[in-house]
Amino acid sequence: MKESENDFGTLLKFMKLKRHETPPPGYFNSFSGQVITRIRAGEAREHSSEAPWLLKLVQAFEFKPAFAGAFASALCLLLVFGIVYAERPDSSPQPLLQNSEPLSGSFAAVSPSSLPQPADSIGMIASNNPANSLQPVASLFGSQNQFAQPVSFSLSGN
Amino acid sequence: MIMAEPAEPTDLEPAADAPVAEMDLVRRAQRGDLAAYDELVQRYQERIYATVYHMTSNHEDANDLAQDSFIKAFQALKSFKGGSSFYTWLYRIAVNKTINFLKQRKNRTHMSLNDLDFNTENNPDLVALISDKTPRRDAGLKELQEKLNAALLKLSEPHRLVVVLHDVQGQSHEEIAEIMECNIGTVRSRLFYARQQLQSLLTDYLKPT
Repeated sequence: MKESENDFGTLLKFMKLKRHETPPPGYFNSFSGQVITRIRAGEAREHSSEAPWLLKLVQAFEFKPAFAGAFASALCLLLVFGIVYAERPDSSPQPLLQNSEPLSGSFAAVSPSSLPQPADSIGMIASNNPANSLQPVASLFGSQNQFAQPVSFSLSGN
Repeated sequence: MIMAEPAEPTDLEPAADAPVAEMDLVRRAQRGDLAAYDELVQRYQERIYATVYHMTSNHEDANDLAQDSFIKAFQALKSFKGGSSFYTWLYRIAVNKTINFLKQRKNRTHMSLNDLDFNTENNPDLVALISDKTPRRDAGLKELQEKLNAALLKLSEPHRLVVVLHDVQGQSHEEIAEIMECNIGTVRSRLFYARQQLQSLLTDYLKPT
């Protein structure tokens, strides 16, 4: 080791320069005072904290990195599980209007001549569900709705 | 039966009452006595600050990190069982905090160097390093200071720490091994490698004297 120190003799002399780097005069006079002030301020904040459990959790993370790692891993697992679960397609989509009862008498009177040809006349219905689109379906209106029935409202006075 | 006389404390062996006094301060601080902790801070502030400063080459960062280290040590004081000396335990906190900071700040180094004290020009080893061609001695030392710090910042954190603790602060291999929690062989090899790297980085300034 002595031999190697001789090899680095000039370098070691150079390194002595670092020992002459000193902080501004009087710097250490107030150093410990600042540390104690910050400790007192931290204690006061801790006592007045509304969420001491959060502070304890943060302190646990600081002093036990393994705990922080385990907590982060659990969060990641939860996130991955959530994403996978959310992206899973529904197992059995309900066909649109499968069990719908024929609608009758609930539409206001409209002249059939003013409407375009209804979709049921060609037996197709548009849907944004690929499973149900372009499937022949029963008429929404049924045969009795081929012609609009006039509806009369009678308002009973109180 | 002849009783051996108790040996006189030497310079190498700390006086028996010194560690007791330190442990007394630590126990009082563990009970929340801030006056005792203030005394501990005053005892080690210069060494902790110097280590952090030489690792970062930045006074403001060293100030923040040294203060944070003392605050963290106080918060964790209850977990200190006395397995090592308080000084070694404190050093570990400061060193870990500094290394974490440097890893976060990777490649964004900014030097803020302290001034050289007035004794620098009286150091014959340093005077000999200044080139004869340098017109002003002050400028030469300042330039050397910057080059040395820039070279140190190019070392990895463990290598820089070993060279700072040993060659700048004069700590023994054993003390460094205890602080860095590694064996003495690792300290020696890191020191050798760090010096080799520094020598190649500063080759233009290291003229044989």
